[in-house]
Amino acid sequence: METRPKIALFQCKWCLYSEPDQNWVDNELPSSMHLVKLPCTGRINPLYILNAVQGGADGIVISGCLPEKCHYKEGNLRALRQHDEFLNFLDYIGYERSRVRFVWLDLQDRGRIQKELADFKSEIAKLGKAKVLATRSKVSPGGQYA
Amino acid sequence: MVDAARHPRIDVRTFTEVEKVEGFVGNFKVTLREKAKYVIADRCNGCGDCARVCPIEVPNYFDMNLAPRKAAYVPMSQSVPLVYNIDLDACIHCYKCVDACGALEAIDFSQEDQLVEEDIGAMIVATGFSHFDPSVMDEYGYSRYPNVITSMEMERLNNSAGPTAGNLIRPSDNKNPQKLAFINCVGSRDKRYNPSCSNFCCMYSIKNAILLKQMNPNVDITIYYIDIRTPSKGYEEFYDRAREMGIHFSQGRPSLITEDPETHNLFVHSEDVTLGKVMEKEYDMVMLNQAAVPQPDQNHMSSVLNVAQSPGGWFMEYHPKLRPMDSPTDGVFFAGACQGPKDIPSSVAQGSAASSRASRILQSDHWEIEPTVAVVFPERCSATTRGRACGICAKACPYGAINIFSPETPAEVVTAKCHGCGACVAECPEDAITQLHFTDAQILAQMRAVLADKPEEKILAFRCHWCSYGGADLAGTSHFEYSANERGLRVMCSARMDTDFIYEAYRLGAGSVLYSGCHPQDCHYITGQLIGAKRASRLEKIFDKMGMTDGRFRVEWISAAEGDKYARVLNEMQAVLDDIPMEDLKAEIEKLKPEMSKRLKKFPGVPGVQEAMDYSDILVDAITKQKETA
Amino acid sequence: MNHESIGSLFVDEVKAIPGGEFVEMCYSCGTCVSKCMIQQKGEPEFNPRRLLRMVMMDMKDEAFDSRTTWLCSACDLCYPACPQKIHISGVIHAVKSLAVKNDKKTIQNIAVVDQQTCVACGLCVEVCPYEAIKIIETKVPYRGVINIASVDPGLCMACGTCSAVCRSTSIGVPEEFTDESVVEGLWTWLQSQGVET
Ligand SMILES: Cc1cc2nc3c(=O)[nH]c(=O)nc-3n(C[C@H](O)[C@H](O)[C@H](O)COP(=O)(O)OP(=O)(O)OC[C@H]3O[C@@H](n4cnc5c(N)ncnc54)[C@H](O)[C@@H]3O)c2cc1C
Ligand code: SF4
Ligand code: SF4
Repeated sequence: METRPKIALFQCKWCLYSEPDQNWVDNELPSSMHLVKLPCTGRINPLYILNAVQGGADGIVISGCLPEKCHYKEGNLRALRQHDEFLNFLDYIGYERSRVRFVWLDLQDRGRIQKELADFKSEIAKLGKAKVLATRSKVSPGGQYA
Repeated sequence: MVDAARHPRIDVRTFTEVEKVEGFVGNFKVTLREKAKYVIADRCNGCGDCARVCPIEVPNYFDMNLAPRKAAYVPMSQSVPLVYNIDLDACIHCYKCVDACGALEAIDFSQEDQLVEEDIGAMIVATGFSHFDPSVMDEYGYSRYPNVITSMEMERLNNSAGPTAGNLIRPSDNKNPQKLAFINCVGSRDKRYNPSCSNFCCMYSIKNAILLKQMNPNVDITIYYIDIRTPSKGYEEFYDRAREMGIHFSQGRPSLITEDPETHNLFVHSEDVTLGKVMEKEYDMVMLNQAAVPQPDQNHMSSVLNVAQSPGGWFMEYHPKLRPMDSPTDGVFFAGACQGPKDIPSSVAQGSAASSRASRILQSDHWEIEPTVAVVFPERCSATTRGRACGICAKACPYGAINIFSPETPAEVVTAKCHGCGACVAECPEDAITQLHFTDAQILAQMRAVLADKPEEKILAFRCHWCSYGGADLAGTSHFEYSANERGLRVMCSARMDTDFIYEAYRLGAGSVLYSGCHPQDCHYITGQLIGAKRASRLEKIFDKMGMTDGRFRVEWISAAEGDKYARVLNEMQAVLDDIPMEDLKAEIEKLKPEMSKRLKKFPGVPGVQEAMDYSDILVDAITKQKETA
Repeated sequence: MNHESIGSLFVDEVKAIPGGEFVEMCYSCGTCVSKCMIQQKGEPEFNPRRLLRMVMMDMKDEAFDSRTTWLCSACDLCYPACPQKIHISGVIHAVKSLAVKNDKKTIQNIAVVDQQTCVACGLCVEVCPYEAIKIIETKVPYRGVINIASVDPGLCMACGTCSAVCRSTSIGVPEEFTDESVVEGLWTWLQSQGVET
């Protein structure tokens, strides 16, 4: 069965979304997208992403504050460094880098998140479904396999 | 304007700039650059045929670039004189205008800029102000969002002679906006851009709101402000009227404007300070009341006219309260916003005052100047003694009042230009200049008198006439307590505080010396303080090297309003003296005396100084004797 | 002219701390408040302008109890916007440090270390944006005196960056979600989208 691309959206809760945009993300996200709201992009445990990948998500969007506008001074920058390494790993196991997108938003970018998601979706659709990885089981952050 | 142009004794020169100013009050020689219009003014009858046939359209700066004009143009239909002008930067040389002008033959592409020299008695500067460009303020999105406009654009859009004939439309879709926000203090009262208040924007934003409301009572206008300033007669009543008409006022400076990308409507984010609540409100159009700033060429004009600038860049008046329309240079006056932002009533008042001040000069055959002018002893000038004028005095003079016509001729002071700061007198390495009423001999006599008795306990304070002297005065009238060992000595400017005076004070055994004057931006003599400050820092280094105790020589800039500072500085200086045991202090003074005398070798040779010494010796003698007998 | 209270006013205490110097320059324009994300994301009482006012008006207790004092994360969105160039988070930090000195407790859910599992690798120390974590020699039940991570309650702002990097899930902020709930959520969603596992 051909499904729509499945996209996991990780959002920092301070994200500089304008009110209507935040309402849209909170309440009207299409079912093919899943929102994970965290205090900071720095709070994203790489294993969350790995789980999404393992579970078959076709694309991952990480949306946070502009580098110099992090709510926690520089949580996002410190995170970025970590994610960068992690992306190398994803690349290595065969999950294309272009399936992960960072979106830095500013309050003045009204309506941009919708556009970004639509644009990302069409791009993922072009790439097709993500490769089925060898293991398809949950990875719990505690380190044990479920 | 038309009246002025027709007046037999008023000569209006448009498209003309001042290139050079020479001479002095009553006798200025002014070079004007009359720029080429490529139209012969006497032949043009203002019919506008050239503009009609001109194929080139460029934005019209007079309409804030909201409407086009031709390359052959007048900026507005009421231009005075109504003479067309060809913008050669835009012109493609098709010469259609020449044909259209026909028999009048008014168009002349061979015209060039003309330099004209005029004899001028007095000058009034009325170059006005310019506008802060809000596009540097990212948060308001000006130049990114089409419906965010500036107040000047608003003035054109609701003007019946403007590009829309007074029909207010918004740029994104040419519709009439129904909900408008005006934002005050854009770039003013803002330490990031212009810290000062622009004076008139509160009022014109109320004016524009009332105008728009009169034209269409249904428009909804909110004015965002930090404070509304309505300080003149009738202004508060005007503000009341705006409230009565239903114009909304919200205290709170918006932090952000965002735009709906589809409708181009704008959302203004602000805290309503009274409620303590953050609001995001939607508007069709937003007007930014941008700050008034000095003209971009204000620095250039100030050096051409030889007038000073206040800290914000505006032209500086002679005295903020007593002579607000006079410049520090005699014969140059200010009118209007060039001296600081002001509205039309104040500009007109200042203009009238300036013209009556100027006519005093034109009416009289002679002109009273300050009596404290500088005088050169030509026989001492290095031009005479060594055949080469060093030129230090000419460089020091803030007014350019010293002429050195050739290296071999001694310096000459143009008395009418001299304001008597004494910078040249103190700077001259040959002691070849003196200042009337403040001669070296006079000051020396005062110094010797105040240091006659127990000099090591005394603090000799050099104060400038305009600031630190006033500061000391204020300290006295406010009954601030300060050291009773202070002995004040007045000169006109810190620039007059000669190094010789300071050395002589220490040679006479002074405990401490204070070197005080105005803050740099307050200097009464344009750049006098800078000269004084440079000299003072040189002295500080010298005394430091000599091994003088820190704090025995102190440099402070104290304004006439800082009585408390004057008292504090003196008390601190007293504390320094109190901290040194008397024997050590006396030993230090004695130790440094030979060094001071060495540096003073030439001083007794200054005309009048020897006599002053002899005379004051008698005085000093008398003072000490009087004590003994008493 | 000498008043007893001069020098002991709350505002003088705040001004004496680096960062708090310019508090009295505030002219209450409200720019900082409408810039602030904390205020807009569910803390309507959060108001830096008002806190600055409390400092100026000598309202010490009110300032210490204000949520603004404790919730400001020093993101400094307001600092570049303030027309008076006041480093607002610096002032708030000064108030907070005075409050800590006066034995006030933070209202943040600060990070907690599981002393039994922490291996003192130092990853969290490296990533903490507030430099709130230090490796300190501590006496731990069953493990003796060992080096483990310890959180400064006055500095931690509960961002959770530490729990994202901890390899042994030994540090974390009490949050409304857990690692498991996030993973569970992801898998449930993916399965509902018709993925065969
Ligand atoms: C949007 C707006 C609305 C306003 N509305 C009102 C109002 O309703 N009521 C009110 O009382 N005030 C109002 N004001 C204030 C008013 O504009 C000023 O008070 C007034 O313009 C000052 O007059 P001025 O002659 O000093 O300067 P300006 O009007 O600025 O005139 C200066 C002139 O000098 C010329 N010039 C500049 N440099 C040179 C040079 N080097 N050589 C030759 N010429 C030069 C300029 O081209 C200009 O024509 C408003 C201001 C603004 C910005
Ligand atoms: S006049 Fe009013 S709007 Fe203009 S800078 Fe001053 S306070 Fe702001
Ligand atoms: S932005 Fe600055 S001046 Fe305005 S209220 Fe905040 S601290 Fe005060």
